[in-house]
Amino acid sequence: MSVLAHGIGAQHDLPLSPFYAFAGAFAALFVSFLALGLLWSASRFRGDRAGRPLPSALQRLADARPTRIALRALGLAAALYVTLNLLLGPDDPDRNPGPGAVYVLLWVGLVPASLLLGPVWRLLNPLRTVHLLGCRALGRDPAAGRPFPVRLGLWPAAAGLLAFTWLELVAPDPASATALLLFLSLHTAVHLAGAARHGAGWFDRADAFEVYSGLLARLSPLGRRPADRRLVLRSPFNGLDATPQPPGLVATVCVMLGSTAYDGFSDSPSWITTVQTSPLGRTTAATLGLLGAVALVAALYALCTGAVRLISGQLSHPLTAFAHSLVPIALGYLVAHYFTLFVTEGPRTVMVASGTDNPAPPEPLLGPGGVATLQVAAIVLGHVLGVIAAHDRSVRLFPPGRAVAGQLPLLVLMITYTIGGLSLLIA
Amino acid sequence: MKRSSTPSRPGRPLRPTRPVAAAVTVLTAGALVFGASACGGRATTHHKPGTSHEQAGGSVGRLLAADDGSGNRLRQVDAEGAPAVTVAVRPDSEDGWNVHLSVRNFRFTPDSVGGAALPGRGHARLFLDGHPLARVYGSWFHLPASLVRAAGGGTGLTARLYADDHTAWAVNSTPVQATASLSAPSAPEESRSATPRPDTTLEIVVSHGKVSPDPGRTEIEKGRTVELRVRSDRADTLHVHGYDKEARLPAGKTVTLTFTADRSGLFEAETHESDLLLTQLVVR
Repeated sequence: MSVLAHGIGAQHDLPLSPFYAFAGAFAALFVSFLALGLLWSASRFRGDRAGRPLPSALQRLADARPTRIALRALGLAAALYVTLNLLLGPDDPDRNPGPGAVYVLLWVGLVPASLLLGPVWRLLNPLRTVHLLGCRALGRDPAAGRPFPVRLGLWPAAAGLLAFTWLELVAPDPASATALLLFLSLHTAVHLAGAARHGAGWFDRADAFEVYSGLLARLSPLGRRPADRRLVLRSPFNGLDATPQPPGLVATVCVMLGSTAYDGFSDSPSWITTVQTSPLGRTTAATLGLLGAVALVAALYALCTGAVRLISGQLSHPLTAFAHSLVPIALGYLVAHYFTLFVTEGPRTVMVASGTDNPAPPEPLLGPGGVATLQVAAIVLGHVLGVIAAHDRSVRLFPPGRAVAGQLPLLVLMITYTIGGLSLLIA
Repeated sequence: MKRSSTPSRPGRPLRPTRPVAAAVTVLTAGALVFGASACGGRATTHHKPGTSHEQAGGSVGRLLAADDGSGNRLRQVDAEGAPAVTVAVRPDSEDGWNVHLSVRNFRFTPDSVGGAALPGRGHARLFLDGHPLARVYGSWFHLPASLVRAAGGGTGLTARLYADDHTAWAVNSTPVQATASLSAPSAPEESRSATPRPDTTLEIVVSHGKVSPDPGRTEIEKGRTVELRVRSDRADTLHVHGYDKEARLPAGKTVTLTFTADRSGLFEAETHESDLLLTQLVVR
């Protein structure tokens, strides 16, 4: 498992030097308390109503049927290409682009793609396309189906996300064609069945990749205003503020944070020793580690919202009301952990796909100091965005007298996550 | 979907089309005829060095029936003006030994090896306790320790002079040769201190699926050499990620893997079969 952390990749980032970590932690603390004192006292974010419309020509181009069809075809072709490579190609991630395509280009690549362009996986998702084609062939309405149980919310997506991160970080041989094909066929079967029963809306709630991409896209400057369906440029804060709060949102965010945190500490020699010598066997021990990390993140969150409830009293759903503010923190973790992987293994996967066997990874873009700075900056910036988002939400929800006190537990939670994230980079 | 590395189906070898096949046949035949006429004749001094082992070319001295012990006949010459050799050996500071041959009445002629014997010309051969080690075309030769190991070890180094036609020069039915003994290569530590000894040595033992000492992190300055000494109780493969260094680990034997840490990053050394992390190298 340590062999193929992230499924692929031979080099890890250097552990952060304490200087960077302390600088980051100090910055995070400083900003947090500054925010308490200086930030606005009346909510400013307007969520979905915000944004400056893009030129209508651009919108027409983006919404044009050929564009949509081209994107669907692209997604389907890429999926076919990956599947065929996994089925017929050599079972070696150095010579088969399949594992790299799934773990790097899709999984890690969704982060920058969603940040820049919005929820792109909705448009590319090959399962959606297959469902669409199937419905067309059967003469059914793709949207028709039994209503999706409201209580389920994003829980299926959280489970899917956990399953995928388990495959990536815990499974005995995550980059083997067998493991990937097994996962992909299971994923396909579940989602096609779900979509057949509940209609295409199933993917919005249950497809882990769509939900993941959609949550990160909340921070994209590009968004769509629901009122008039216009594509708009908007502040990431407004996009974040408009995050819907179905049940399971907290679980999804906790899986994102917990699995990335597990990825961090699973590199440390002491954890590897624990796993290697565990009497339970490696996979079981690592599974417990992953579940433990997610549970720890979730428990801290629950503790915090309990404190918020104590202080403020009247909030009906404090658990979900602030979940959106954890998305930037999760994004900071993701950037810090996967930047190097993406810029070295991404191009390498493309080289493998274009026919070079076992190409040398390209020279890293940033030196060790650059990577360390980027990691700390990503985590601290995520923290700052989270603090601001939570502050705005708390001045909206709490009466003015309690707004500062009400967000204190959340602030403590975020500082905990941020310092935890930084210390994972040292370890 | 144009991929070169998807496995091609076996059992259907590519077959050249008929005209191509004919051309290939003609060319091959031509090459054979031409080659035979070029190589089949007597060895000349213009022969490509070392390609002929034809014995006893040339009419210098007297060819004896006796051989040198490895199948090359002796070519006896008069004691006066006969080639002579002495050999000196000293340990090299980095690896093995440096061998110095001093010759009299003799010239090294690598250009004409394989040709006819000419008086006072040829090359030398080195033997270790009778096992051939190397052919020498000059007075200095670096004898790597690996070559000595490959020859099965030993201490008696013999240098013998040969003519271009691979007969051994001899005087009084005795080959012209000199002997020296290889001292232990582990010369005094002082003389080795100037050599790039590994800056970091990590000793790791794997037994019953347990790594000892427990896997940890070793900080290494970029550009330094690292030596991993690993012993495993099962046959396995050692792999250093990132540097892609591999070594076979025969069961129960200590294997040394040395490399220069010239890339910064966090790299893992591990075994492949048992899939154990041995240590992490932090190169910065």
